[in-house]
Amino acid sequence: MERREVLKLLASAAVLPALTPDAFSLLRGMHAAAAETPGLKALNPHQDATVTTIAELIIPQTTTPGAKAAKVNEFIDLILADWYDDATTARFLAGLADVDQRSQKLFGKDFVDSTPAQQNQLLKVLDDEATVARKQQAADEAASRKHALAPLNFFGMMKKLTVLGYYTSQVGFEVELHKSIIPSSHAGCVAISGVA
Amino acid sequence: MRSNLGGSVIMAANTYDAIVIGSGMSGGWAAKELTEKGMQTLVLEAGRSMVPEVDYVEHVPTWGVKFRGLRDRKAELVNRPIQSQIGDEWNAKFFVDDLENPYTTDPDKPYLFLRGRHVGGRSVMWGRQTYRWSDLDFEANLKEGLGVDWPIRYKDIEPWYNYVEDFIGVSGQTEGLPQLPDSKFLPPMEMNCAELAVKEAIAGKFPDGRMMTIGRVAILTESHRGRAACHYCGPCQRGCITRSYFSSINSTLPAAQATGKMTLRPYSVVHSLIFDAKTRKITGVRIIDAQTHETTEFHARIVFLCASTLESARILLNSATREFPNGLANSSGELGHNLMDHIFKGGASGTIPGHEDHMQMGNRPNGIYVPRFRNIKEKHPAFLRGYGFQGGGRREGWERGSDTPGFGADFKHSLQSPGPWKFTFTGFGECLPNHDNHLELDKTKVDAWGVPALKINHKWRDNELAIYKDMSVTAAEMLEAAGAKDVTISTAQSLPGEGIHEMGSARMGRDPKTSVLNAHNQAHDIKNLFVTDGSCMVSSACVNPSLTYMALTARACDYAVGQMKRGEL
Repeated sequence: MERREVLKLLASAAVLPALTPDAFSLLRGMHAAAAETPGLKALNPHQDATVTTIAELIIPQTTTPGAKAAKVNEFIDLILADWYDDATTARFLAGLADVDQRSQKLFGKDFVDSTPAQQNQLLKVLDDEATVARKQQAADEAASRKHALAPLNFFGMMKKLTVLGYYTSQVGFEVELHKSIIPSSHAGCVAISGVA
Repeated sequence: MRSNLGGSVIMAANTYDAIVIGSGMSGGWAAKELTEKGMQTLVLEAGRSMVPEVDYVEHVPTWGVKFRGLRDRKAELVNRPIQSQIGDEWNAKFFVDDLENPYTTDPDKPYLFLRGRHVGGRSVMWGRQTYRWSDLDFEANLKEGLGVDWPIRYKDIEPWYNYVEDFIGVSGQTEGLPQLPDSKFLPPMEMNCAELAVKEAIAGKFPDGRMMTIGRVAILTESHRGRAACHYCGPCQRGCITRSYFSSINSTLPAAQATGKMTLRPYSVVHSLIFDAKTRKITGVRIIDAQTHETTEFHARIVFLCASTLESARILLNSATREFPNGLANSSGELGHNLMDHIFKGGASGTIPGHEDHMQMGNRPNGIYVPRFRNIKEKHPAFLRGYGFQGGGRREGWERGSDTPGFGADFKHSLQSPGPWKFTFTGFGECLPNHDNHLELDKTKVDAWGVPALKINHKWRDNELAIYKDMSVTAAEMLEAAGAKDVTISTAQSLPGEGIHEMGSARMGRDPKTSVLNAHNQAHDIKNLFVTDGSCMVSSACVNPSLTYMALTARACDYAVGQMKRGEL
């Protein structure tokens, strides 16, 4: 990304509420660092570890595989590199950095180095904030009839991508939801107890 | 110039009995009918071939496409900014490249021209909703003094509806409604729990006769004429390897092929028709090969123009001659005018409480239908004609997770079960014929093959907007009658063209002075030219029009071949 574009992004504070002063180095380092993570294009190893950890906290392994097994991090990397526009990707990465800042402030450690209990505590705060932000965004978009590419709140983005990445994966579709491309039967209205 | 050789007919180079331009909904039918009646027929298709085994993608899972269904957004911004508004990541390849296929509008008249260029045309991606028109539709223009009178009535087209339905297979429920005549139905698809509840809540509740039936759809609910019954995988718009829904690739073109009399030529961009001033007939068709860009001429005794409402008008406008300076077969001056499309997206949605211990099995590729109820029993003060609702009920799926607070094992577990029942009504409203809604050739722009692009001039008028406004009111009334919660009015409104029900650019009529085609889809001005796609429509009704194009095409083929056999063509 060019410096000029970064400055433009920083100037548009309205769409970048979570952008931190670290954005310069984040954005400049984005492509260079990506090479350090085999197979990934947008996330450096630390970012990838953070994304993978958060995704697994949202959809953990239970009796069925979770987000990590479904490689949700790879899907998120693809969206950041090839689907989001630069501003949205920058906003996501800034939000990711903010998670570490908050974790440092609260626990003196980066998010991935915190205990599961600490991680859950911070995630609860992020989720509550995302719920408020989602309602505000929905109201604003209904009024303006203009829809952003993605949730404006970082955790809103993270959760949406995690849910999408998981349930559209083979693991999510076949193992978690027991679905098949060609349904075994069809009927309009059947009791769930009667469904195998 | 023919000779019989070993039983097969050899014709002069590039010469056929008939040429069909277009291989979609109408062209497929023309190909089938003309070849089955013994005509050596050349079918010209502007786009590529389609090979079902290769091109159909209905069984490709979400993890089999790069962006899991979100589409290749960045690439489409470049070459499909318009077509990216239709279809999905799987079937985006069935829609044209906008850079190769430009059109223009005035800035204040946005129009969405959504289309494919390949063998099968839009019959590959269509919505498959299949409804007969009634005399309420065929008589409306005459009664209200709008546009021109349809030169046919229901009795003229009824046998052809029967004929077409018998071949394509239409599933639906017999209801006996005068405004929406029943088709020859295969067994109906089943309503789901929410739909059964809403249907019952509406029944008999409204003095205007509102009722709900299952969508009538060109999908087989039992095996039919060698095609298999639907297996409920869901996304028909991506193709169907079992040929269970009607498309020209699945049905009419194979029938034409089986006669041994069809020559199908893909990559044939029609530039213009060749008019002979002496005989006042079309002698052939001038094409540009889409791959080599070479120009070739083909000849025939009759031409069926089935390139779609916009493309057929474009070809005729681009075929102007000294005799027809404003477009071929346009002595009336109506060619390109009276363009219509259904206004849609008005309606409402809500949550239907209860039924949480019930679900729907499989992915039914169909919804419900509320037939037109406005201006049937009594006149509506705000608008003429009316609208019908499509839509249906469904349980929310995992998608709701993005908007649901929480995370972790409980969150994951909650998404394993379906969510509440949602119900949506989406109205499709009639568009009145208006001379000012029209097509013209853009003098400054050509497509990738040098053919002048269309400039499209279409906007919604007061009657369409009044219909649109009413959709949300009556949809919400029905949802409230069904006890729905969180009823939300739709604020979306379709752009002209977005309904993909373009009609009217070469209308039929009784008077050559005010219409382009006669009662048999034959050009008033040129006897061996037939136009049987949506161009011919005189009014738009509010129901999906494809069945009527098919019936009119079969009817016109019967007439044309009869005329040829009697030596009148």
